[in-house]
Formats: sequence, C-alpha cells, structure tokens
Amino acid sequence: MLEHFLAGLSATFSLANFAALFFGSIVGIVVGILPGLGPMVGMVVLLPVSFNFSPDVALSLLLGVFCGGYFGGAIPAVLLRTPGVPSSLITSFDGYPLTQKGEAQTALSASLLGSFGGGIISVIILIFLAPVLARVAASFGPPEYFMVAVFGVVLVVMAFRQRLSKALILLGLGFWFSCVGIDGPTLSPRFCFGTLSMQNGLHIVPICLGLFGIGQTLILVEREIMKTKHINLSRSSLDFSKLWRLMKYWRTLARSGIIGTFVGLLPGTGSILASFLSYDAAKKLSREKERFGKGTPEGCIASEAGNNAVPAGTMIPLLTLGIPGDALCAVLLGVFTINGIYPGPLLLVKEPVLINTLYCSMLMINIVSFVMLALWLKPFAMVIRIPGKLLSISIMAISMVGIYAVNARFFDVGVALVMGVLGYILLRLEWPVVTLVMGVVLGAIVENRLRQTLSLSDGNISILFERPICIVLVVLTVLTVVIPLLLDWRRVKMKQKQESNIIIQE
Amino acid sequence: MVNENQHSASRAHDLFGMLLGLFALFMLITIKWQIDTSGPDPFYKGPMIFPLIILLIMLAGSIPSMWRMIKPLPGSSWYLDGDGIPYRTIAVAVLLAFFPLGLTYLGLEISTWLFLFTGLQIVKQNALPKLIGIPLGITAAIYLVFKLFLDIWFPTPLLFELLME
Repeated sequence: MLEHFLAGLSATFSLANFAALFFGSIVGIVVGILPGLGPMVGMVVLLPVSFNFSPDVALSLLLGVFCGGYFGGAIPAVLLRTPGVPSSLITSFDGYPLTQKGEAQTALSASLLGSFGGGIISVIILIFLAPVLARVAASFGPPEYFMVAVFGVVLVVMAFRQRLSKALILLGLGFWFSCVGIDGPTLSPRFCFGTLSMQNGLHIVPICLGLFGIGQTLILVEREIMKTKHINLSRSSLDFSKLWRLMKYWRTLARSGIIGTFVGLLPGTGSILASFLSYDAAKKLSREKERFGKGTPEGCIASEAGNNAVPAGTMIPLLTLGIPGDALCAVLLGVFTINGIYPGPLLLVKEPVLINTLYCSMLMINIVSFVMLALWLKPFAMVIRIPGKLLSISIMAISMVGIYAVNARFFDVGVALVMGVLGYILLRLEWPVVTLVMGVVLGAIVENRLRQTLSLSDGNISILFERPICIVLVVLTVLTVVIPLLLDWRRVKMKQKQESNIIIQE
Repeated sequence: MVNENQHSASRAHDLFGMLLGLFALFMLITIKWQIDTSGPDPFYKGPMIFPLIILLIMLAGSIPSMWRMIKPLPGSSWYLDGDGIPYRTIAVAVLLAFFPLGLTYLGLEISTWLFLFTGLQIVKQNALPKLIGIPLGITAAIYLVFKLFLDIWFPTPLLFELLME
C-alpha cells in the first residue's frame, strides 16, 4: 500500500506529469474564468493532444483542466456577477455584494479557500472510499453492472425531468451513436449505410469535440455573455492576511466539501446541485443567517467548496464501477479505454501505481491552482478582457486540427463538424446536451451488460429480480423515477389549489 | 431580454423533437436492412436488441413534440430567443466545412491561417494588427504543437503536388 503510494507520488513529480498538471491547471483556470467556455471545452480541445502521452500524464493534464476550471469560475462570479462555470452562480450571491462593498479581496479569498479546501477534502474521501466501493463492486456480475448503469442513466435523465422528453430523445440519440459501426460480439455492421468509414463507429472524441469545442464556440460567435469588463481589483495577488481570518469558517468548509463529494458521487447530479446544497446547508446552520445573500464570505466558502469537491466525487463511480458521473468524467473514461485500461473494481488492484498517481496529481492540482491564482490573481482576472469572438474562432481552428491529429482521418473531422452543428442547435435550444454525451459513453456499457445478463438467464429478464444487489438497485431506480415525479405532481396540485383559492377570495 | 417561458414554449423545440423522432422512426422501419442479423446468435444475444430498445425510447420521447406539432398549444409561437437568424454563425460554420478541404489542398499552415483570417473578419474582429497577428501567432502555435512537438503526420498539400508536376 505505502510503496504504491510512494511510487504514485514519485510519478506525480516526474517532469512530464508535473508539467502536464501545471499546464492543465492553467488552461482550466483560463477556460473557467471565461464565461461561456468552461472546463469541458478546455478538456475536449486538449483531448487529441493527450493521446500522445502515457495514461498518467494524459489524465493529469485533463484533470488539471477539470479541477482548475472550477477554481477559475469563481473569479468572474465574484468580480462581475457573471459565473465562469454554471455552479459559480451560487458564489456570486455573496461574492458580488462583497465586491460592491469594496471587499473583493475578502470574497476572492473565501472563494479560493473554499475551492482549495473542498478539493482537498474530496480527494481524501476518494482515497478512502474508492477501495471500499471497489471491494463491494468486486462481487458484481453482469446483471448488477447492468442495473448500476441503468440507475446512472435514470439519475441523469431525472436530473433534467423538467425537460424529460428532450432528455429521453437525446439519451436515445447518444445510445444510437454508440451503436454505429461493427458490433463487437457478433461482428455485424450496424447503421453503416454501406460505407466503410462508418464501420469504425463514431468515436467519443469527435463527438465531444464537435458538441463542445465547436458547438459551444459557435454560440459565442453571436452572443456577448459579459455585460461589463471592468475589473474592480486593487492588488495583483491575494491578500493572505484575509485567508487566516476566514479559517474560522472551517466547519462550513469541511461540511460543504463532504456534501459536494457525495453529490458528485451520484451520476448526473452535477456541480450546480452540489454548490446549492452546500450553500443551503451553510445558511441553515450559520450563526449569521441574515447575512447570506447580502455578502458573507461564509456563503462563498460553502458554494465553492461544494462545487470543487465534485471532480473527485465523480471519480469514485468512474474508478470503481467504470460508470462516469458526468460528461467531463465521460471524457476521462475515453482516455482510460483508449490506453487499454478499463475502470472497474479490479482497476485498483491491477493499476495501483496509476491510481495513486491520480490521487497525488489531484491533490497537487488543487495546490497548484490555489497558489497560481493567489499569486497571479489580477493577470488571470484580466483574461476576461479577451474578446469571446476572437477566442471562438481560435478554438475552432485548434479543435479541427486536433481532431484530425487523433487518427489522421478526415472522416473524424466530418463527424466533429456535424456534431458541432448539432451541438449549436441543442445549446441554442437549451436542450440537455449532457444526456447525449452520457448516452454515447454509457451505450456500449449498457448494451454489453444487457446482452451478458440475458445470456446468463437464457433471455429471461427476471434474473434482475433474483439477485439481492440487483433488487436493491431496481428499487432505487424505480424510486428515483417515482418520487420526484410524485413530488412535482403534488407541487403543481398545491399551486393550482392556491391559485383557485385566490380567485375564489377575489 | 429573453423570456424563459417563451423560449421553452417555442414551436422550434417541437419541430426539432419531431425531426429526431422521425429519424428514430425511419431507423426502426429500416432496421432490418441496417443491421446484419444473419449470425447464429439468438435474438437476445444478437446485434439488434439494443438498437430496437433505444430507438423506441427516442420515439417515445418525441411523441409529445409530434403531438404538439399537429395540435399546437394555445398561444404557442415560433419565437425562440429574439436573436434572429444567426447569419454570422452560419458563415463561420460554412467556413469551418471548407477547413478540411483546405487541409487537403493547401496544407496545415496556409489553411489554418486563412481560416483564422477569414473567420476573424466574419466576426468583425478586423483591426489590422489583430487580423494579421493573431492568425499568424495561432498558426505558429498549432504548427509547433502538432507538427514539431507531437510529430503528427499531415498530408502533402494536393495543390503543391499538382504544381510540382
């Protein structure tokens, strides 16, 4: 155990790995600061480059963008009330009022402290929880894996239950994309339309690069997201004396980190929910409840610790079950599989050094991102001034060259282009693109496990009701669907009743 | 200001949902010809079971959109977000479609520079230093990263081959 950890630590500090996590963190902070981009765009743009590196270096690079993005997202939320990443919206509730009072340094210190603390706490939980879950998952057979994947899919779809039909269509479309090409077990071509290029299937990289690298940037061509670019920041670095004073909120910090990690653990829940739940819990348990929403550093700490704990939280189901918790983890799963590494309960036994390198890299990414932002706060904040339109054209060029670079196939470039247009339409219509990505990634997993499950039972689906873990998962899945729908129905009924009462009174 | 309710109630959503539903229906109808099921596997092990399930999910999800396209909700309109037709985005997307052709005929460096130069003009970032400098800088960075650092092979430009002949 210790020798693996030391080997992982030594691999983390190798020149290539450290350079990758450092560079990844810079890119992450920059795309996090720029509203409309976010860590997903940063990750997909660097994805083609990462394929040329060893898996530990590639993962450090992408994890740097993943975690760094959440660090960066707080800066515009505090200074301009424009969240860099959606979950930083909650940070702006208290961060921006503090900035208006001339206490931008306090708000930024609280946000950075929250991000750092949340990140570190979640990695520690990941280190201790992953082996426990892996031990449980080791007893899983195909039916259990199938049900876990179905449970994950249902959680993702139900997270968008206000747009349920759209989420279902996109999930189905994502699954369909995963079916295109030669079917592995039977070698039958599927949906190839008689072309050879389609037989290789639609790879996750051009799909993600198209949807986010091109689709998202096509949106930026038309829209000006920033309302103002005036930055109200007196010092170029963080005021460290404020950090010590904020340590009195350590309970909020720890609680929010734990909430964020466990929210991240559930597929499809996302960082916005983590941020909101942490903020809500902090507000309820605070001695200064009335200051929330008017400008309290405690609110910034809670929100940022909650959302920064999500990356490590989402890594738990990814590493132990091979099920990505969100679209960003889906991209990481792609990096694992392309390198011939299949996440699951055996990963922790088969690749202990890689796993420990990953843990240590995540700890280092949090430290590096914190130190960089603390020292170069103003230079990073100035990134906001880069015109979005200029960025969008540049990212498109890099994405197109990058996608060609993966396999030197023009077919992939074509796929990315089509996905870019599809991504633009979906983002403009505000459809839940995440369900599409989850469909693409989970499609192969769900299909393989379904066929294995049916093979075990000679085509009888009742096998799912004969195994204890399966039964628990079936019940959880049904409850995940039924309870929110019932609650929504009750809410609508109560609202209708209230409205009818008002009309009668009038 | 975009009205959130107006946005989500726009018939554009229903049209798009219906199109995706029709796509799923077409795939369902033609599935026999789209998937080779001549293998000896029983149906539950075969390549068709999963596509059938997912296409049915897609179709089920699109039924509300199809219904609303036939019978529009009272007060619904085609108004989406007030941003109008995105001419500039369409122009950039068309330019992007020509980029792979540029890579084939002109090579990495010239096509990247041309794409950036034209793209920046389309999005009105046309101050001369920006228009010349930024494409040059990004082309140089792409060349350094992909050709020198990662050693990725790019095809010899066809136009140069033709000229050499």
